[in-house]
Amino acid sequence: MGSDPDVLVVGSGASAVNAAWPLVAAGLRVRMLDVGVRDERYGNLVPDGPFEEVRRTDPQQHRYLLGDRFEGIGFEHLGAGAQLTPPRQWVTRDADRLQPLASASFFPLQSLAEGGLANAWGAGAPAFCAADLAGYPIAHADLAPHYEAVAARIGISGARDDLWPFLGPLDAMQPAVACDGNAGAILRRYARGPDRLHRDGLYLGAPRLAMLSRPLGDRQPTRYWDMDFWSDAGRSVYRPRWTVDDLRRSPRFAFVPRRLVVAFADGPDGVTVTARDLDAGTVETHRARRLVIGAGTLATTRIVLRSLGAHGTRVPLVCNPHTYAAMLNLGRLGDAGDEPRHSLAQLCVVHAPRGPAAPFTVGHYYSYRSLLLFRLLKGSPLPMRHGLAVLRLLSPSLGVLILQHADRPTPAKYCELRAGGAGGDDDVLHVEYALSREEQARIDAVEADIVRGLRRLRCLRLQTVRPGHAASTHFAGTLPMSRRDAPLTTAPDGRLHGTRHVYVVDGSVFPDLPSKGLTFTMMANADRIATLLARSLGALQSAHT
Amino acid sequence: MDRELRREAVVFSRYLVRAAPSEALIERYCAANRELFAHEAPSAADAAVLAFARDHAWAVAPLDAGHALLGPASLLRKKLLVMTAILETTPEYAARTEPRAVALPMLGLRLAAAGVAMAAGAAAGLALTLALRHGK
Ligand SMILES: Cc1cc2nc3c(=O)[nH]c(=O)nc-3n(C[C@H](O)[C@H](O)[C@H](O)COP(=O)(O)OP(=O)(O)OC[C@H]3O[C@@H](n4cnc5c(N)ncnc54)[C@H](O)[C@@H]3O)c2cc1C
Repeated sequence: MGSDPDVLVVGSGASAVNAAWPLVAAGLRVRMLDVGVRDERYGNLVPDGPFEEVRRTDPQQHRYLLGDRFEGIGFEHLGAGAQLTPPRQWVTRDADRLQPLASASFFPLQSLAEGGLANAWGAGAPAFCAADLAGYPIAHADLAPHYEAVAARIGISGARDDLWPFLGPLDAMQPAVACDGNAGAILRRYARGPDRLHRDGLYLGAPRLAMLSRPLGDRQPTRYWDMDFWSDAGRSVYRPRWTVDDLRRSPRFAFVPRRLVVAFADGPDGVTVTARDLDAGTVETHRARRLVIGAGTLATTRIVLRSLGAHGTRVPLVCNPHTYAAMLNLGRLGDAGDEPRHSLAQLCVVHAPRGPAAPFTVGHYYSYRSLLLFRLLKGSPLPMRHGLAVLRLLSPSLGVLILQHADRPTPAKYCELRAGGAGGDDDVLHVEYALSREEQARIDAVEADIVRGLRRLRCLRLQTVRPGHAASTHFAGTLPMSRRDAPLTTAPDGRLHGTRHVYVVDGSVFPDLPSKGLTFTMMANADRIATLLARSLGALQSAHT
Repeated sequence: MDRELRREAVVFSRYLVRAAPSEALIERYCAANRELFAHEAPSAADAAVLAFARDHAWAVAPLDAGHALLGPASLLRKKLLVMTAILETTPEYAARTEPRAVALPMLGLRLAAAGVAMAAGAAAGLALTLALRHGK
């Protein structure tokens, strides 16, 4: 594996790769240790082409739409990862086995995949604005250049519309991808009389998406094939794997897969990492001047608690509560809905009765199409044949509004590592998560307001589903950034307090979560931490090759 | 076992799309059942309902309507869902689930007709469902 690198990076997900990038670009030698599970079954099966065409022509479609083991049918309760289609399910392979977790209330998706959970993400990429960062020891100005750097690297599309003050300023933004007719009908009605809705605190506009509307490097703009839940055609949706591929072109970067990092030891001159080689079954050590951990909040917490011998210590956990609301867009009834579309969020809805300077709630409206009708029948009280006929008539006007609510730490939300066997890698992470009655009441009230506002736009709520506490997959807050040098917290520059050489770059360091997907901010923060680290290591600024 | 599954594939497909399934679809239905349901024996009530449905194709529609209300997690509903999913992901039947433009009055009529048919099916289905599930 050659001489010791300057920096070891754990993980290859959204946070880790966007930390590795500025380190490599600054001329540092980086070794990325990752379990690196890859898709071995479905990737090559899904043909290039629009969803409708694939449906009409491909006799093999059942293999990826339902799965070779019919795993895409699934009868379980709608929970975390409900939208993981068979071609995306590899993302969670081996994760629960290698990272045991116990809980009576929190059932998260974990990933040991190359590229992590963002192999399956919805690519919603709003920036945090000043109000969102109120509880953070860093300001928006600290993040702003890194939002720009990451946006230029990964490609973010969006519009300068009514949502601009809520989704954060961003110069390096591509034009918005086009929304489909279902969302377009809602937006047209909104445009006829936005003032009244604004008075009630409701704002609509284009979502910020990590989906290209213009070419970027060798990646293509979306072709509106509506295949985004099934394939990565043209690489138009950002996946961290694309960055790993780019990093691999640099001689200063080494990707070492099949390594499960177990622990680190912080020494006077650097850091030693213990990892299990999953193929050889051996334990090996890696040394470097600095360690950057971006293994995903839960995995990072596990590594840190184990390394610091903090078994049995509770750390806080936050995760955006999620609600799915099935919507019927009356203004769209009767349309064929056959225009080209992408599969991700078509519309962003913001509920901000006190404007952008106070906390607000963000939701995303998806048209229901390429996830197939049979899924809707699963929980419906309709007989299958008539249900299918009714859904066929209504499907162009059906939508799903996904609301994610802000979350703050409370004593009822925590995780704790309990010791397993001698090797340490079978320690069990115990997680408990409960919302207080007041928190739930606030969520209910906001949702009622949003539903009322959308009704004015002739969009009716048919059903509300609460998919369970971990469903948003937005995990954070276990090692919060703090100016106080307290144990199990991180400094504003990402360094783990109590260590000299260990940095954390994923959601663990976010003290709380506003009502927004955290991933874009996590990537920007990883870029910020790594840029500071590169500077502190005195690295030469040289262009990435 | 396979004979029963093959018979189910035929009666369910006739009910859902008014057409007999191809041999490939029958095979796929059997494979799905082996994968999804073979690990646990059906309850006596589920077994009775399925046996009745296999022997009386006319009963599938009312039994589906009855179970949609009384037994949404029943094995009959699960198996019908499997057949629906298999049909929906088959080029021959894809067009039948694709949306089409419909004039609003026609949409209203169709929804009303479906509602009436569902209500009628449910009335017959509830009685049959109760009789079969509790008669065993
Ligand atoms: C269906 C779905 C939709 C989503 N939609 C959105 C969205 O629209 N917007 C949004 O902001 N967020 C969304 N998310 C959340 C988003 O995907 C995550 O926030 C993000 O991917 C987390 O990145 P990460 O780098 O923190 O960790 P992860 O993605 O979890 O990656 C962890 C990495 O670390 C590696 N690793 C872990 N443990 C070890 C170990 N011990 N040793 C070695 N390597 C290890 C893994 O192999 C992996 O490469 C969604 C998630 C899902 C599942």
